[in-house]
Amino acid sequence: MPLDLSFSCPLPNGVHARPASALEEVARSFTADVLLLNQRTGRSANAKSILSIVGADIRFSDPCLLKISGLDEERALVALGAFIRNTLPRQETALPTFATATGELQLPRCLEKSGAVFRRGTAVVPGIAQGRIVRAGGFNVPDGLPMDGITDVLAEQRRVGDALDELIAWYGRRASAAGKGIESDLLVAHRSLARDEELRTCLFEAITTRQRTAAGAIADAEARFTKILAASENPLLRERVLDVRDVCAQLLQRVYGDATATRSLTLGEDSIVVADSLTPCQFLFLDCRFLKGLVLAEAGTTSHTVILARSFGVPTLVGVEKIDGLADNAEAVLDADIGALVTNLTDTAQRYYSMERQRLDGRQAVLRNFSGKRATTRDGHAIEIAANIATVEEADRAFAAGAEGIGLFRTEMLFLDRAAAPDEAEQHEIYHRVIEAADGCPVIVRTMDIGGDKALSYLNLPPEHNPFLGYRAMRIYRHFESLFRTQVRALVRASAYGELRLMLPMVSTLEEIRWAKKIIAEEQDRCAAESKPFDKAMQIGTMVEVPSAAFALNDFCREVDFFSIGSNDLLQYFMAVDRTDSRIASLYNPLQPGFLRLLKQIVDTARANKKWIGLCGEMGGQKGYLPLLAGLGLDEISVSAPAIGGLKAELSRLDLADCQQLFASALGCATADEVGALLDKFSAQHSLPLLAPEMIVINADAATKEEAIKRGVDLLYIHGRTEQPRAIEEAIWQREATYSTGFGHGFAIPHCKSGAINANSLVVLKFSQPVPWNSLDEKPVRVVILMAIRESDGASEHMKIISALARQVTHESFRDSIEQEQDPARLCALIKSKIGC
Amino acid sequence: MKIVAVTACPTGIAHTYMAAEQLEKTARKLGHSIKVETQGAMGIENKLTEDEINSAAVAILAVDIAIEESERFDHIRKIKVPVQAAMKNPEAIFAQI
Repeated sequence: MPLDLSFSCPLPNGVHARPASALEEVARSFTADVLLLNQRTGRSANAKSILSIVGADIRFSDPCLLKISGLDEERALVALGAFIRNTLPRQETALPTFATATGELQLPRCLEKSGAVFRRGTAVVPGIAQGRIVRAGGFNVPDGLPMDGITDVLAEQRRVGDALDELIAWYGRRASAAGKGIESDLLVAHRSLARDEELRTCLFEAITTRQRTAAGAIADAEARFTKILAASENPLLRERVLDVRDVCAQLLQRVYGDATATRSLTLGEDSIVVADSLTPCQFLFLDCRFLKGLVLAEAGTTSHTVILARSFGVPTLVGVEKIDGLADNAEAVLDADIGALVTNLTDTAQRYYSMERQRLDGRQAVLRNFSGKRATTRDGHAIEIAANIATVEEADRAFAAGAEGIGLFRTEMLFLDRAAAPDEAEQHEIYHRVIEAADGCPVIVRTMDIGGDKALSYLNLPPEHNPFLGYRAMRIYRHFESLFRTQVRALVRASAYGELRLMLPMVSTLEEIRWAKKIIAEEQDRCAAESKPFDKAMQIGTMVEVPSAAFALNDFCREVDFFSIGSNDLLQYFMAVDRTDSRIASLYNPLQPGFLRLLKQIVDTARANKKWIGLCGEMGGQKGYLPLLAGLGLDEISVSAPAIGGLKAELSRLDLADCQQLFASALGCATADEVGALLDKFSAQHSLPLLAPEMIVINADAATKEEAIKRGVDLLYIHGRTEQPRAIEEAIWQREATYSTGFGHGFAIPHCKSGAINANSLVVLKFSQPVPWNSLDEKPVRVVILMAIRESDGASEHMKIISALARQVTHESFRDSIEQEQDPARLCALIKSKIGC
Repeated sequence: MKIVAVTACPTGIAHTYMAAEQLEKTARKLGHSIKVETQGAMGIENKLTEDEINSAAVAILAVDIAIEESERFDHIRKIKVPVQAAMKNPEAIFAQI
């Protein structure tokens, strides 16, 4: 006699994958059959199958009935009753929302009426890419794999069944290795799908009744379940289509081997690769020449891929909406600046992106002037600008961008996402290649920083309660001594080829350094005994990222040759703040006077002991902090490759003495805001001239007012006068909304005050074709004089000049002379003479 | 005729000064004497004194925003126009005098 249990669905989002998976867990622990009936739709489901449960499409407050029958039905009834009452209502809370872009998409004016289609996403690597959509990951049966006509049904069933068991076990191992978090949740969800009774039944049936091969059966199951899920009205269920695809792809790969894996994807033209998720290995296998952009549905499982994409400068979006509707091979733009994948590229959209390319290429061309030169201040003081890299492939890019060395080679990437650690030969080869790319420049290699959030399956590190304060980096070396020795040996041998320096991560005590040095010396002795060449004078240094190191530095100086400040961790540990927690992230501010004093103490101690000291955290990559860091007295700043040119350009405008004075004043400040204000004032005083010949364009081209304003603002970006051109555009448009700045006579003076402008600026654009402007005299505009003023500037010298210019443009004679002059340098001089600057 | 004027636009960067220049130019052309105070990004410039206001026949206020010390003009005839009007057709403002 079956037992009944009726309830109404308590979940506002309905029974999606997560609650279905929880129900399945309970149901499958009993031998009794459990049938779930949705009384609104009349659909019934096997409660021991997630796929079946979600197929019942249960929505909020749907009346439902559980029918339980079997030997242990009474116990099952009690357990399921408790589950429905206590557990099910709470299954709503933990939905992953991390990668979902929220709020309205803020389109630039030029694109508002373009007719292009925008899919929102969260930008994790900046930039703009154009290319054809290519899908990676997901599910695809390769051509040539037979789908039907098997003879030995049992053998084929065994083949699929074994692969499925293997896959379930693999998901389980990966999930426990991943610790707690989104990655583990996802793996558990995938495991539940893999062990779903419906999936196994469906696979076996296809083989038995239709003589399908394993490939055919998997393809059928994939088609069937994705169809059920895609048809659901619940968006959370539709998202699970990708999970089913992924599980089927993994299964296919297990039956047939790597030939069917996503890594076989090849790119033949500029491409935007769209994937549910992509492992670092799969990423590295993609042809970099054609990989222009990356779209990932899931970010949490692919954070290392995102790090790779960042270091390769591949613009990347995660959590992009409605990805399933994308046509393969469609032309698209990945615009990380606005946070969208753009398709249906109309003429207006094409024009916009061609302007965007000119903007980005223009900036690059300006920066290239500096990339080949040594980084020096205006008064000739050198500060090395080096690069942070994580793979050998990045080294070439870094040196092409003007790096004067590798300031941080993070080696942990070599150890991640693989079955076993790389051996000595493999590591030696990689270090050798980086040293070759450096061509005599120094290469600082940091030994592996593993553990904490970077767990390795082959080390079997248990999940930690507080990974950043735990068992990681230097701290695991004693326990994994042979792993460390292998890396040291590879580095010692590679030191024969060039200027290699070995750096230890997360050092907090002197004993740690002494222990590591003993191992290094032993490995050097071994190399000597084996007559292998190596550099006896190889420098050994440490990261300074744990506050205790800062206060033990005097002692460290007796043991090591150099230091590099890891400002990210140092600030996080010093302020005791997790910067990923938005509620306290504002405390994570490198301008905190206490932090600056800490930096000062570290650098002074290193200096007093005549030790070389650099900085390799994110703080170094932000141009705004450069005057402070130059004043701090670092020997080197190491940043990601794209930031190098901008830093060199900025440094060339600074005088060391000014920077030193600035830093001294900052140390006297009481709050981070005071330091910020000081820095603002400094950059206002040391900024670019108000008008320069490169800010004048004689034959400018724009079809609309929107494009004309963009042209002007883009010039500000190209010449380093702003990092946020869109904020400036928006401020100009807000001003334009009160009334048009086209004051007649073919002239317009769009203008704004904005916190986004680094230096007060004038731009003069003379258009070859007049631009419509809804001017006061309703005539189009031939000359645009754009004025962008810093928010904080009141009665400054520059404002006086701007007001003089505003008065001048009301005079016909002044306007005529501007219209007649066709040479930018002469026009610049002419305007300057008229307005007295 | 003796005229005083104030100009003030929303950002105080450009039109405040353009309007001032337009009013000065036009007054000269029409044979009036004028003093224009600007209230822009640099604060109040060329500030009108009490005497100047009291001895003027009219005050032209070409302003888009609330101006500072507006009470100074409480006892004098005022012509209030948007800044745009001073830009576009200043002579029309003087015709109202």
